[in-house]
Amino acid sequence: MKSRRTIGIALAAISGLVAMAACSSPAPTQTSVSTPPSQSQPAGDATITYWHAYSADSQEITVLEKTVIPAFEAANPGVKVTSVPVPYDDLHQKLVTGIAGGELPDVVRSDIIWVPELANLGVLEPLDTAMGDFQAISQAVYPGPLATNKWKDHYYGLPLDTNTLVMLNNPAAFDKAGVKMPSTLKEFAGLADTFKAKDVALYADGNLNGWNVLPFIWSFGEDIVSPDVTKATGILHGPQSVAAIQALYALYRPGAIPAFVTQDGATDPADGFSQAKYATMMGGPWMYPILEGSFPDLKFEATMLPAGDGGSISVVGGEDIVMTSASKNKEAAAKFISYLLGEETQKEFAKIGQMPVLSSLAGDLTAIQPYYATFSEQLKTAKPRPATPAWTEMDTRLEAALQELFLGGGDVRKTLDSLAAEFDGLLAQYQ
Amino acid sequence: MAAALSGANTLAPRRRRGNPSSGRGWRSPAYLFLLPGFAVFSLVMIYPTVQALIMSLEKWSPAPGVENTFVGLANYAKAFGDPIFWRAMANSGVYTAVTVPGQIVLGLICAVALNRALAGRTAFRIMVYIPVITSWVVVSVLFKYLFATDGGLVNWLLADATSLMDQGVDWYNGRWTAMVAICGLGIWKGVGWTMLIFLAALQAVPESLYEAACVDGAQGWQQFWHITLPSIRRTTLFITIMLVIGAFNVFVSVQLTTNGGPANLTQVPLTYLYRQAFNFLDFGYGSAIAFMLTALIFALSIGQYSLGSKSAQDAAA
Amino acid sequence: MRIKQKKLLVAAVRYMVLSVASLVSLTPLIYMFLTSLKENAFMLTSPADVVQGNKTFANYAEAWETGKLSLSFMNSLLVTVATTILVVLLGSMMAYALARFEFPGKSVFFALIILELMIPSIMLVIPQFVLAKDLHLLDNRLGLLLVYVGTNLAFNTFLMRGFFEGIPKELDEAMIIDGAGAWRRYTSLMLPLAKPALATAAIFSFLGAWDEYVWAMTIINDPAKRTLPVAIAMFSGAHSTNWGLTFAAACIALIPVLVVFFIFQRQLVGGITSGALKS
Repeated sequence: MKSRRTIGIALAAISGLVAMAACSSPAPTQTSVSTPPSQSQPAGDATITYWHAYSADSQEITVLEKTVIPAFEAANPGVKVTSVPVPYDDLHQKLVTGIAGGELPDVVRSDIIWVPELANLGVLEPLDTAMGDFQAISQAVYPGPLATNKWKDHYYGLPLDTNTLVMLNNPAAFDKAGVKMPSTLKEFAGLADTFKAKDVALYADGNLNGWNVLPFIWSFGEDIVSPDVTKATGILHGPQSVAAIQALYALYRPGAIPAFVTQDGATDPADGFSQAKYATMMGGPWMYPILEGSFPDLKFEATMLPAGDGGSISVVGGEDIVMTSASKNKEAAAKFISYLLGEETQKEFAKIGQMPVLSSLAGDLTAIQPYYATFSEQLKTAKPRPATPAWTEMDTRLEAALQELFLGGGDVRKTLDSLAAEFDGLLAQYQ
Repeated sequence: MAAALSGANTLAPRRRRGNPSSGRGWRSPAYLFLLPGFAVFSLVMIYPTVQALIMSLEKWSPAPGVENTFVGLANYAKAFGDPIFWRAMANSGVYTAVTVPGQIVLGLICAVALNRALAGRTAFRIMVYIPVITSWVVVSVLFKYLFATDGGLVNWLLADATSLMDQGVDWYNGRWTAMVAICGLGIWKGVGWTMLIFLAALQAVPESLYEAACVDGAQGWQQFWHITLPSIRRTTLFITIMLVIGAFNVFVSVQLTTNGGPANLTQVPLTYLYRQAFNFLDFGYGSAIAFMLTALIFALSIGQYSLGSKSAQDAAA
Repeated sequence: MRIKQKKLLVAAVRYMVLSVASLVSLTPLIYMFLTSLKENAFMLTSPADVVQGNKTFANYAEAWETGKLSLSFMNSLLVTVATTILVVLLGSMMAYALARFEFPGKSVFFALIILELMIPSIMLVIPQFVLAKDLHLLDNRLGLLLVYVGTNLAFNTFLMRGFFEGIPKELDEAMIIDGAGAWRRYTSLMLPLAKPALATAAIFSFLGAWDEYVWAMTIINDPAKRTLPVAIAMFSGAHSTNWGLTFAAACIALIPVLVVFFIFQRQLVGGITSGALKS
């Protein structure tokens, strides 16, 4: 008897699920039946699916779903946009699985470093041919972020929002040591001992990957790969790159850079920064809500990265917008992308911390958020990480090699020598 | 279905004369009991496993329209020559050697303490079990913070609160100190699980055995050693096998605390294969690592099983 | 007198062991709970800060509202309850077959079940995704149910089989002499006697489905079909995570698992009637 009841409950629960499945979305095949893959439907009566990693915290998803999409739909009758938020940490895996299963959305907000990889897999539509207004838009955006979209001979996306790292400094620490934030790397490194005498570390960071280390290499006047992203030998182990890593290592040894820099983010520098245990750390615009929220009493300033022989060169971050080649509604998708890059939309997102990519908005930015000023200035010279599908693996190896060097000691030049050879091999796979 | 099952078996007792394992051979009712569950299991687990196995023999690309080339055992050979792979295997071996005995001993102690009536027993059971039900993601983040060099609770206790040390430890900067944090999390999270299974097993030990032992004059420790432990031998074997499997499959905690670093020192097989497959898109290599790990665990489990059954027989003899 | 003292001592030791165990178990949880009462907690801060700061339940309300947790909660509940029932039912049937019958291929069945426990499930995600697509179960809660049942079956079958084998065979034999078929022996002998095993399996399969993240994140797109772990992960951004919101949502997510544990752990007490085993 009892087991009958259990079976009954099980059947009820399952039929509940079946019912829920039945009355929800149409079967995926229905929309795709009559359309040959090469031809896209006219923009009328189309639904485009949009994957993105906007956060549910903060206003990002609200602005997208309550302001931007309704406005776009009102301006384009017949086009519907389905917003699919995905947690940032899992978006790459979800994309890869979707690629393998042939199930991709129409439009994706992609981290800038994934675009060459996705393009290389053949799942992205080149926007320079798919969008009529590509020329106009590409000229309106910053060149650094735009460059992250180029793979081989085409642009596979457009920048959507951008950011970069600047130097955040804690005035309390500088007052304690009686010094001011310098503008050159040489002077900056020279402050290490002054700070140490006051038990303050000069500069804290939680990682040793490209995002954190490249600004130093670039500012020293070197790069890690050739401009056409085909070779690392002769560049990654060039004298200025070696000098940059040596400079970091020389600060790390006596503790002017705290030991946890090798820990891949296990220790967050912001905590010690807020207590003036560290004088400086690099940070993006997103650090403002974090620091203001966690340490309401903290006063901090943002300055350009200290300049080396190569200038003050930071790294370009942010997201690109791409269209999949499997999209059945390319025309509508192109319209949506143009809309996202319109001044109104870009301004709307600027209000909630997403830096616009349109250079025409540079003047309005400080009115929206005063702290954008330093970032805009830094962005003028900021460089993107090498645009290659091999970057993820290169970055992983760079980080591991530097961790090994910092923890175990060793010769900087030799480490970079062997890394350059490895990078050449990785880059060769994609030529 | 009920009628079909009982109908099939009513014939058997007549032929087999009261053997509980009646209905031998291909007409055994066992197949009907296995059918629904095994159908789901085959579809969702075995079939994808075969696919993954094929993947491990290919240079596999997720790209649409790309023909995957068969490469034989090349991916396996690559693992054999990969020092990081071997270090990852060694790390998971260390993790297993530390966390499995830790969880068994502490779980058994808790289960024994909770076995008999005690005021507040339910509350204690729930509290000890609570780490099991919290998500791995949440507790990994918590442990990462607890062992942070600056501002972490552990260093605060060691250096600031008690002055046991002059300054905190850089837990995540060394292979073994990082493993302390990772193993600590593994044991902390798993004790409630072993406690629960031991508890169910202890409850099944017939009271009559203890009564008989009391008559014979055995008490406390002797009872535990001569009655409790032998009675839960099968459960202990089960727990050991499951914990070994789980320990070699340690993943989320390592990925979220050290991510295999620094310098790949704390890499374990799953973090390494995940990176190869989902970050570098080398799914063939990722699958090959997965199957080599499976083969190792399978061999270990068979070993444990035969050792366990043998000692059970010895005990019975 | 001496016996009484000894009993007291034993009780004291038990209380001590359990108190220490509970304290160690709870500390991180208390920390998590206290953080969930902090606003704008983008960083985990020192214990002193967490204890002292202003306390508010605002995160709970905000997480519930902005994360649309009520919907995710119902999705999780539906999928998890269905998974639990199916796993206990199908798993106990399989366990019964493996514990009580000899039949050709038994060791193969058993080996396959054990083998699947050992394979890193992350490598099965892509084949499972393609399968779900072929079955039209993408972005569908039935796709979650199917895979959750499949993934939880192996362990729970193995678990229950062990318990079933511990139940004396004489009881089966007595029923066979009375003319009871296999199904009746399963429903009216095995299941009642194996309540602790069924309860344990129910606790584990509930937890397994309730906490599952990777598969749900992979196949579900529609926010209305999201399960709780996915909804909670949405509070993490690319550069920051609001730990106050995340932990508030995680605390809410703990409640059903606690309730299920509370209900089923009672079955662990004296689930096997001593009379049956004494015979």
